[in-house]
Amino acid sequence: MGFFFKKGNKQPKLKEQYSEETDTAPAKSKDEKESSYYNSETNLHFSIRYISTIVDQDIIQKNILPYLLDKQFASIADVKKILPIEDVQIETNEALIEEKLFNGYLVLKVHTDKQHVAFIAAKEVIVRSLSMPEVETSVIGPKEAFIEAIDQNINLLRIRLPVKELMIEEFTIGSVSKTRTALMYIDDIANMENVNTMRQRLQAIDFDQINDSSYIEQLTADNKNSPFPQFLDTERPDRAAGVLVEGKVVVLVDGSPHALIGPTNLVEFFSSPEDYLFNWITASILRLIRLFAVVFSILITPMYVAVLTYHYELIPKDLTATLITSRQVIPFPPILEALILELTIELLREAGARLPTKIGQTIGIVGGIVIGTASVEAGLTSNVLLILVALAALASFITPVYKMGNAIRFLRFPFLLFAQLLGLLGIVFCLLIVITHLLRLTSLGRPYLEPIYPPRWRDLKDSFIRLSFDKQIRRPSYVQAQKEIRFNPKHQKRRHDIEE
Amino acid sequence: MQSIEAQRKIEPFIVFFVIASTQIGSGFLVFQRTVAKSAGYDAWIAVIIAGIMTHIVMFLIYKMLKEEGADLASIHQQVFGKWLGGLFNLLFVGYFCYGLLTVTRTYIELVQVWMFPDLNVFLFTLFFFVLVFYAVNSGLRVIGGLSFFSIVLPLYLIFIFLFILPYTDFRNFFPIYDHSIKEILQATKDLTVVMIGYEIILVFYPFIKNGQQSKKWAHFGLLFTTLIYLYTTVLSFAFFSEEQLKETIWPTLSMLKIVELPFIERFEYIGVINWNIIIIPNVCIYLWCASRLLKRTVKIQQRKSVVGLLFIILLIIPQLETRYQVDKLDDYFSDIGFIINYLYIPLLFVLLSIVRKVKKRQ
Repeated sequence: MGFFFKKGNKQPKLKEQYSEETDTAPAKSKDEKESSYYNSETNLHFSIRYISTIVDQDIIQKNILPYLLDKQFASIADVKKILPIEDVQIETNEALIEEKLFNGYLVLKVHTDKQHVAFIAAKEVIVRSLSMPEVETSVIGPKEAFIEAIDQNINLLRIRLPVKELMIEEFTIGSVSKTRTALMYIDDIANMENVNTMRQRLQAIDFDQINDSSYIEQLTADNKNSPFPQFLDTERPDRAAGVLVEGKVVVLVDGSPHALIGPTNLVEFFSSPEDYLFNWITASILRLIRLFAVVFSILITPMYVAVLTYHYELIPKDLTATLITSRQVIPFPPILEALILELTIELLREAGARLPTKIGQTIGIVGGIVIGTASVEAGLTSNVLLILVALAALASFITPVYKMGNAIRFLRFPFLLFAQLLGLLGIVFCLLIVITHLLRLTSLGRPYLEPIYPPRWRDLKDSFIRLSFDKQIRRPSYVQAQKEIRFNPKHQKRRHDIEE
Repeated sequence: MQSIEAQRKIEPFIVFFVIASTQIGSGFLVFQRTVAKSAGYDAWIAVIIAGIMTHIVMFLIYKMLKEEGADLASIHQQVFGKWLGGLFNLLFVGYFCYGLLTVTRTYIELVQVWMFPDLNVFLFTLFFFVLVFYAVNSGLRVIGGLSFFSIVLPLYLIFIFLFILPYTDFRNFFPIYDHSIKEILQATKDLTVVMIGYEIILVFYPFIKNGQQSKKWAHFGLLFTTLIYLYTTVLSFAFFSEEQLKETIWPTLSMLKIVELPFIERFEYIGVINWNIIIIPNVCIYLWCASRLLKRTVKIQQRKSVVGLLFIILLIIPQLETRYQVDKLDDYFSDIGFIINYLYIPLLFVLLSIVRKVKKRQ
C-alpha cells in the first residue's frame, strides 16, 4: 500500500505546496528566495532559503526537493541519508548561514528543530571551456591554459601530478570578495619553510578585494617597492606542474587564469616552457639570445645618447661619420630625440594593448611604418636611432613573462636620464643601482639573483643555459627542496667504450 | 658578546671577493710608476715580497680573531681597556673615513683627467654617495654581492690587456736582479700600501658564517690580487721603457689606450667606467666598517652614522681641488695605511697574545 502511495506522490505538486514569503528581512536582495514545504509522509514542515542567482535550479528541482518531500524525512539528521548530494553539512551555528547562503548553499530549516540547520551545496558553476594560452604561447607542447575557475585549474594540475603528496591548502582572502585561494605544493619535495612563509603571508593579507592573482602577488611580495616581479606567474598548467615537481609552491586564485610561483629568481623569468621541449643545445642558445636581447634592449638607446652627447671619440671614425650624417638635420639633442622615439614606441604599445585585436594591428602598422618613416623624413629623428629603438622594442618583447617585460620597459628611462647626465659613467651608475637593488631583492626569502650571486655552479645547469635532462640530477638549490635528487643517476646507462 | 643573526651573515667564500675588491682600487692604476722609480725592472720581485707580506699580516689577523665573536673593538677593549680601547676604535673610524675620502677623491681625479675635465665634483659625489648609501643601507650581504660583481664583471680586462702583447718586449727584464736589496725593499714598501684594505676583516669578521673557515678564502683573495698585480706589472714593464714608465702617471690606463676593437677606439674610457664598478664595494666596505666601529664604540645607530659620515665627506671632497692636494691625500693615506697594517697590527697581535697569556695564568 505504502509503495503505491509513494508512487502516487512521485510527482509532487510543487506549485501547490509552494508559498512565497517575501516579507521577512527588511533589506533583502531581490534574488534571495525563501519558501516553506510540508512533507506529508512524516508530517514535517521545513523551509529552504537560497540565492536564486548562484544556485543551480536544476539541482533543487531534481536532486533536492523530490527527495525531501517523498523520502522518510523525519528529522534534520536524515537529510544526509536521503539526499543524493555529497556536500551536506549540519550545523548548529546560526552565524554560518549568511556565509553559506552566499556561497551557493541551500539553507534548510526544520520547524520542529530550531537548533540545527542543514547546508546543501547547490552552487551553479559557470565555467568557460579551456582555451589556448594567450600570453605564453608556444609553437609546440601543451596547448591548454588555466581558466577563471579554481577547481578546474586544480583539476588540470592534479591530472598532471596524480600523487597523494600533492597538497592543497585553501584560504578565503578578501573581506568583501571572499576569494578562494589555494596554496599547492608537493609534500615530500617542497621545502616546508617556503610553504610556511607563503601560508603566513596569505593569512596575513588584509584587503577587501582580490580580483586576480596579481593582487596576491603584490600583497605578498618581499619588496613592495620594486619594479621587478618577485613571483613568477604563468597561465600554463604544464609550467605550474613543472615547478611543483622542482619543489616550489604554487598559488591559485579563484577568478584568475594565472598561477603564482615562488620562490623564483631573475633568470627564471627569461626561461620559456618551450625551453624544455627543444633539445638542450637549441634551448640553451635560445636562452642566451633572450638574455642578450634584454641587455641590448635596456642599454642600446642610453649608449646612443651617451656616445653622441659625450664620447664621440669612443667609436671608430667611420661609425661616427655614419651617426653624424644621419643626425645632420635633426634639430634636437640626442636625449630629446631618443625620448621622443621611446615615448612613441611606448604609446604604440599601450594603444596596441588597449585596443581590440583587429584595430590594434592597424595601429601597429600605422605607428611602425607611417610615423617612423615620416618622422625620419621630416627630420625629427635620425634613422639610426629609429632602427635602434625599434630593435630595442622588439628585443623587449622577447621576455617570456609579460610582467618582467614591463619592468624592463620601465628600466630604460632612468638609464636614458643618467646617460644624459654623465654619459657612459651615468650608465654604469644606473647599472650599479640596478645591481644593488637586485642584490637586495628576495623571493620568499630566497636570493633573487641566484645563481649569479650567491654563485651556485649547480644551478647554472638550468639558468643561462639548460643542460640535458640526464644532467639535471638535483633540483635547484635555492628552492632547498626536501628531496634534492630528482632521479638516481646510477640507473642511467653506463657510457660504453669505443669498442665494447 | 653581541650575537648576529645567521641571516645577516655572509658565506665564507664571499670573503675572497671582499678582500680582493678592497685591495684593487685606484692604486692599481698608478703603482707601476712608483715601484719602477725605486727598483726599476726588478720591481716584480717586490710585488711577490709584498704579496707575502700581506699573507703574513692576514695570518696574524686570523690568529687574533680566533676567539669566538672577536672583532677589532673587542680586541681593543681586551688590550687597552674600555676608554683607551674606545679611543683607538675612533682612530680606526677616522682611518676608514679617510680611506673612503681618498678612494672617492682619487676616482674623481681619474674621471676628471680621462673623461670629463669640467666635471661638477659636488654633483658627481652626491650621485656617487646616493648609490653608496643605498648599498650600505642594505647591509653586508649586498656589499658582498657588489664585491663579487666588482671582481667578476671587470675580469675580462685581463684578456683585453693581452692586446698589447705585440708591442711588448720581455727582454726588458734582463738582467734580473741588478738593483740592491734596499731598492727592492723600498719598492716593496711602496707596494704594500697599494695592496692594503684587507684589514677591514678585523671589523666584519663576526658577520662571516663559520669565521675560521673563511681563512683560506681570505688567503686566496690575497693570492688572487698578488697575481693580478704581478700580471699587470710584468705586462707594463714589458710594454714601457724604464724612463717612459717613470713619466707615465697612469700606466694601466695608458696601456689600454693601445687596444682597439672594431667598434671601440678609446678603450681607456671603458677602463675608467669599469673602475667605477671596482671602487664601489671598496667605498661601501670602508663606510660600513666605520659606521660599525662607531656603533661598537659610542652606540650610534649605523643607519644614522652612515648618513652623517657621508654628509661630512661630501662637504670635504669639493674642497680638495688641485692635483697636488689629491696627491698629498694619497701619500698620507699610504703612510697611515703602512703604519696600521705593518706596524700597528703586529704590535696589537703581540699585546693581545700577552694579555691572553696573562689571563690564562690567572
